[in-house]
Amino acid sequence: MIYLLAGNPNVGKSTFFNFMTQSHVHVGNYSGVTVEKRVHHVKHYEGANLVDLPGTYNVSPASEDEGVVTYSLLNESYKGIVNIIDSTHLRRNLHLTIQLLELGVPSLLVFNLKDALRNNGYVVDIDKIKDSLKVNAISISARERHNEDQQQIALEMQNLRITKSLELDYHPIIKWGVQRIHDLLRYDVIQVKKKWLALQILEGNEGIFKFLNLVKEDKIREVVKEVEEKIIAEKVAFSLKGAIFNTRRAFIDKLVKDSLIKVEEKEHSKYFNQKIDRIITHPKFGIPIFFTIMLVIYQVSFGKFLGVGSLLTNYFDILWNDYLVFYLGEALDFLGITGFMYGLLIDGVMGGVGGILVFLPQIVVLFFMLAIIEGTGYMSRVAIVMDRFLSKFGFNGKSIVPIITGFGCSVPAIMATRTISDKKERILTILTIPFVSCSARLPIYGLFVSLFFNEYRAVIILGIYLLGIIVTLLSAKLLNLSYFKGTGSKFLLEVPPYRVPQLRTITYQAFEKARRFVKKAGTFILVGSIILWLLSNIGMDGININPEDSFLSNFAGFIAPIFRPLGFGDWQATSSLISGFLAKEVVVSSLNILYVGDIAAGFTALSALTYIVFASLYVPCISTVATIRSETGSNKWTLFSVIYPFFVAYLVALIVKLIFGIFI
Amino acid sequence: MNVTDLKIDEKAKIVSLKKIGQIFNKRLMDLGIYESATVVMLNKLSSNRLYVIEVDDIEICLRKEDAEKIEVRK
Repeated sequence: MIYLLAGNPNVGKSTFFNFMTQSHVHVGNYSGVTVEKRVHHVKHYEGANLVDLPGTYNVSPASEDEGVVTYSLLNESYKGIVNIIDSTHLRRNLHLTIQLLELGVPSLLVFNLKDALRNNGYVVDIDKIKDSLKVNAISISARERHNEDQQQIALEMQNLRITKSLELDYHPIIKWGVQRIHDLLRYDVIQVKKKWLALQILEGNEGIFKFLNLVKEDKIREVVKEVEEKIIAEKVAFSLKGAIFNTRRAFIDKLVKDSLIKVEEKEHSKYFNQKIDRIITHPKFGIPIFFTIMLVIYQVSFGKFLGVGSLLTNYFDILWNDYLVFYLGEALDFLGITGFMYGLLIDGVMGGVGGILVFLPQIVVLFFMLAIIEGTGYMSRVAIVMDRFLSKFGFNGKSIVPIITGFGCSVPAIMATRTISDKKERILTILTIPFVSCSARLPIYGLFVSLFFNEYRAVIILGIYLLGIIVTLLSAKLLNLSYFKGTGSKFLLEVPPYRVPQLRTITYQAFEKARRFVKKAGTFILVGSIILWLLSNIGMDGININPEDSFLSNFAGFIAPIFRPLGFGDWQATSSLISGFLAKEVVVSSLNILYVGDIAAGFTALSALTYIVFASLYVPCISTVATIRSETGSNKWTLFSVIYPFFVAYLVALIVKLIFGIFI
Repeated sequence: MNVTDLKIDEKAKIVSLKKIGQIFNKRLMDLGIYESATVVMLNKLSSNRLYVIEVDDIEICLRKEDAEKIEVRK
């Protein structure tokens, strides 16, 4: 049995989903976080599954992401809809509710954020709602995770009323239009109510034409045009959509007046938000504040001073190399395993995987702190602060979400661009996201700064991140001036209130990052390390050869000279970059394996710097390229996304070499 | 007058959204911003380049060039 979970963005839908299904998804303060389709088992309700739909204000889609909702309503076979509503923003939320109830599917309305509403001095009269709308309804606070709520919801879901579709008293012209479209739909076999379809079509839901191949599509479009003209001619409203909207709003106004009850007089003050916002988004101080916060975060993760992350990484390193690897070596000696197999296990597997795993603590600390920042609502303010810049470079206001996601991983970041409705702006964002430094590249920076720039760790790593952002912006500008002319025009951002982040959500996010990181180390990187070690130890003359005669050395040595101008033209450094195409962490594993632990010998401070700059910008990893292919649907742009960054990386690394060559 | 002429904490009624393009108009409507709604100016940010306004119970942030197209009457 399938139930669909629908609701506006930022109403705690993901929190509710986690709560009801006892399984986590990413929870954030942004619209567009829920991108993939998620289906999970409902607690206390055997055999029921909940599908988490993307947050939407309206059934008719404004972007590809929101199109999923219309698609699911039309094509999924489901037993009912669970509509989650933010009780503190009833008027806006109920627009979606009305549209869902018009569909006439058994529904449960969940009024979330009961506690926040109570803090404002109000409660929702659930009986009144049930009575007026003839549906099941419940008021809860998903954040508090009450067990009784969980059981009550499961029970309500099992006993949904057979709902009659809600009928509002629309203007006679609209009713006439609905009837005419309804008649034209009789040629189609459709599983949802045709009256509802007709109204959605009048509202401008293009998704219906896209997902259903209507026989009389042209005729229907003519009717829509005719109705729109009549509405305007008779001065009912300024647009057809507006006319429908007005009727719904009037209905909602009455509903809210009847069922939102004031229980306590509270000073509803926005003073605090206003004041903080004005400081945080100050035209002069806003950006320095942002960078100070970032510097503190990077300092705690990677720095020497305050460096919790580095400290933990040091301990982890000792544990891994001095104990685990040491005793494994002893054990292999004891078993009489030496030579080739010993090398493969100790230098290949343990060296390759260990080289990555030691960075785990730093990554956990970094993402723990970023999750705190995200949970407070500060990121929307960053979007405000950054808007001036982003718009100058041709980004859509919504690009900020994918860009910030990109610091974690480019793959979900590219998927998050689905919320951008303009196709060109979307591709522009997709093509530039890989320059944002993802967490997989962190070990590369971590490795080199600890070897060559011990004193300036946090500064150099933050610098590399900034460089990534600058390249992202300049690339966007370049594309904006050439192919994607005139993008980046609109900015509309919902400003969420400041919230105290939930420890549960934050720790979960950090551990989820850790889990994926370890999983990747145990699969991709493990296999990559083994292959790499084998290739570097097998050659034309067989096994147990001088690595200089290996297959890898011969192959990479052929390419290596092109990197000579950048200062790292040996075959080890080159092979590591090639293998980094699998996953960026593999660069570190490879370096560990190929230089057999002594990476410092292969680089100078300057070539180390150009190497991390090049590695931070060059060709995206294979998963990213695959995602770009599937999201753009274009071979041309996919090819571009591979070739373009290579040249950019080369150029930037060369510039860095020339500039820093003076100092170092 | 348009929204940007309001002082902070000042209220007004939206009289016309006609100057705004269709797609953007739909987005505003999705958020609950419509003709005849009451709008409150909450904050002016980034040297009056960005405006935080409240309509019904929702707060949104707009750029100056878009906010100017929202005509209001006190």
